Amino acid sequence: MRGDYARVTAADRPGVAQPVPVRPVPAQPWGRILLGAVLILVLLVGGWEAYWRAYGVKPGFANSFGLWAMQRRRIDQGEGAATVVISDSRLFFDLQLPVWEKLDGKRPIQLGLEGTTALIFLEDLADDPKFTGRLLVGIAPQVFFGGHGYRAGALKYFKRESPSQRIGQWLSVHLIEPRFAFYDPDFALETVLERQAWPERPGRTWRMEVRKLAVTEADRNTYMWDKVENDPDYRALMREIWLRDLAPGDDDPPPAKEQENAMKQIERAVKAVHTLQARGVKVLFVRSPSTGPYLEYDNRHFPRKTSWDVLLARSGAPGIHFEDYRELQGLEQPEWSHLSHAAADEYTASLYRIIERDFWGPAAPAILGAPQAMR
Amino acid sequence: MVFNSLTFIVFFACVLCMHSLPLPWTTKKINLLIASYLFYAAWNPPFVILLWVSTVIDWYAAQGLVKARRQATRHAWMLLSVIANLGLLGYFKYGQFLLDSFSALMAGIGVAYHPAHYDIVLPVGISFYTFATMSYTLDVYLRRAAPARNLLDYALFVTFFPHLVAGPIMRPTELVPQFAQPRRATGEQLRFGLALMTLGLFNKIVLADSFLSDVAERVYDSDKIPGALDAWAGTLAFSGQIFCDFAGYSTTAIGAALCLGFAMPDNFRFPYAAVGFSDFWRRWHITLSSWLRDYLYIPLGGNRHGAARTYAALMTTMLLGGLWHGANWTFVAWGGLHGLYLAVERVLRARFANYSPGPLVFVLLGLLTYILINLTWVFFRAKTFGKAWTVLKGMVGQNAALRPILPTFSLLSVIAIVGGLVLTHWLMRARTLESVVARTPAAVVCVVWALMAFLIVIAQGSGSAFIYFQF
Repeated sequence: MRGDYARVTAADRPGVAQPVPVRPVPAQPWGRILLGAVLILVLLVGGWEAYWRAYGVKPGFANSFGLWAMQRRRIDQGEGAATVVISDSRLFFDLQLPVWEKLDGKRPIQLGLEGTTALIFLEDLADDPKFTGRLLVGIAPQVFFGGHGYRAGALKYFKRESPSQRIGQWLSVHLIEPRFAFYDPDFALETVLERQAWPERPGRTWRMEVRKLAVTEADRNTYMWDKVENDPDYRALMREIWLRDLAPGDDDPPPAKEQENAMKQIERAVKAVHTLQARGVKVLFVRSPSTGPYLEYDNRHFPRKTSWDVLLARSGAPGIHFEDYRELQGLEQPEWSHLSHAAADEYTASLYRIIERDFWGPAAPAILGAPQAMR
Repeated sequence: MVFNSLTFIVFFACVLCMHSLPLPWTTKKINLLIASYLFYAAWNPPFVILLWVSTVIDWYAAQGLVKARRQATRHAWMLLSVIANLGLLGYFKYGQFLLDSFSALMAGIGVAYHPAHYDIVLPVGISFYTFATMSYTLDVYLRRAAPARNLLDYALFVTFFPHLVAGPIMRPTELVPQFAQPRRATGEQLRFGLALMTLGLFNKIVLADSFLSDVAERVYDSDKIPGALDAWAGTLAFSGQIFCDFAGYSTTAIGAALCLGFAMPDNFRFPYAAVGFSDFWRRWHITLSSWLRDYLYIPLGGNRHGAARTYAALMTTMLLGGLWHGANWTFVAWGGLHGLYLAVERVLRARFANYSPGPLVFVLLGLLTYILINLTWVFFRAKTFGKAWTVLKGMVGQNAALRPILPTFSLLSVIAIVGGLVLTHWLMRARTLESVVARTPAAVVCVVWALMAFLIVIAQGSGSAFIYFQF
């Protein structure tokens, strides 16, 4: 069984000084091989790029932890007095930085992350004395009160980001991402293969990962991808994915446990808000609109009275709930959860005006806590 | 920095350019040394100090060994090196583990002991470079090697970036002589080196990270209880992942060194075609297994002092080898299982010394070896014994009537990739990559190279660390 090794290594020379290894180069026309390989590679990558562009994708920026860290770092690098947005996907997609900047003169720092409760970023900012600005906290009930942390790793990444990762991120956003449409996690090889129509194993429920939903810019301004708005099939697919996600599952916690968990999230938020307020930070909660099955789900699992209202009352921080403002309602939501790009522009302008009028502007009344009446 | 990153591509391009400039050889070596420190500092700059400490201690220990006239003095210099290096390793890698184990022991006898949390970051690759530096002092102590002629050559041996953080664990006699004369890759070496790097990164980014790691994670990192199919798929996926990850790193490192004109040794010889466990350890992580054999097993007596001493040395070596991989008792169990396998094999070889298997039995023995190795991977991958036990129960069909965890695609991926991997190892078990490439038509080599590069590009790797970095 032994002895059939094609090349002798240290494994075959016990207890002696190991000699300088020999690395033979196979006899091949390596120059021509390399040239041919590069040509084929260029053709293949070009074809792949063309395929995704034909699908409707444009080069953009990957919503990576590295990009998030670049924005988070701004707070520690002299922009601690800025307006900061922390949120799950809703306010992340719905609040448009250019519109806000046009009205306010300053562009907020966008720290939202899809599927991830704003609570962990609220606590992070509460612990960071360099942050003294204004804070918009986006609340999607399912994510915030359910305590979901799909991309919570961003914070750990930010705190432990190595010099190598920072350089790599810089190279990526300057050399790769703005040039290649295919460079998006939704079009990665394994992701594309996995979502094909494979037969499902008996007893296993079909579940597809959320598809590309938004376009992200260099400073993380993010808005809905126009394919969701304009392609009925793609939009239907997005809705189908949401419906599967919202359907009752075996792993769902019982209602009492869900409420108990929601109260834990609220208590943590209250503590963080009080820390921020003691430092002079203005905290404002924002419940962006949802509609259809998503709104039904939120209302069924996290009724406003036992979640949103309790959060505001316990924290003493004000909040804007879309149901209280006519101008925040009736906007286009192609897949029930997020606004279309145009609607997001409109929503941002309305939201800004409400905030200036009622909360942060010089003429704003000192409203704290209690939910607002319909205006 | 990791090989699978944009930063490394830029770094490596700069190093290649610098190395090809018409500069004096000493200047080129200094450039390589500085580049290697930058390579390491790109993770966490302060940890370069540890690298210096390890380098300086062994440099002076070896100098002391050479100058010492008395055996006791030589012994003292050798012990200084061993204690200093193992001390570094113990403090940074095993401190928390020892405290936790002590607390658990105290709790077992009814004493409540709660030490403060040790919160120390593990310096990447510390297990690799401490072993490399120790081998230098030990080789000088054992009179197998002369000390390096100058500190620059020695420091470059320790720090040379291709092998620094995850091996292959180089011996001084393998690398230091290569620094004596000017070296620059020929055009053929450069191109073949690039091809090797592509192969290594394909293994890591496409096979390990894109397809296999997720399958293992779904089984091992979830609280769901796996049935037989899921437990086996998760474990087989991990067997493929750890090979592609680690062998991928070694191949990339060998390719990077070759691009600069240096030769590094093989670290793997198609290990999933092993027949028996001594064969496995002559094919898997060769530079570690031979290190443990030369500096632990043989000094413990090896097979020169009777059966009992041999088995004791074997088990000690494998248990410590297990612990080398990580500060957790599950790694010790992994090493212990391999020690047990090797001991049983030794008994069987003595009992059936004249037995020569036919081709079918030979393949069946190979499959049995692979299956038993997969059982050890359960302890290697599971974070707790509870999880390992759950997966093992699943593998023997004791977790019945459960909902499937893995989707069909994951199962197909495992069958295709791991099946292909094992088959490839069997086809290659008595060959080298170079001999097969030499016999393959150039057009095929060209297309395969391009396809691997294309798959690397479209896999869009996330730059995740190699598994062995944590060791």
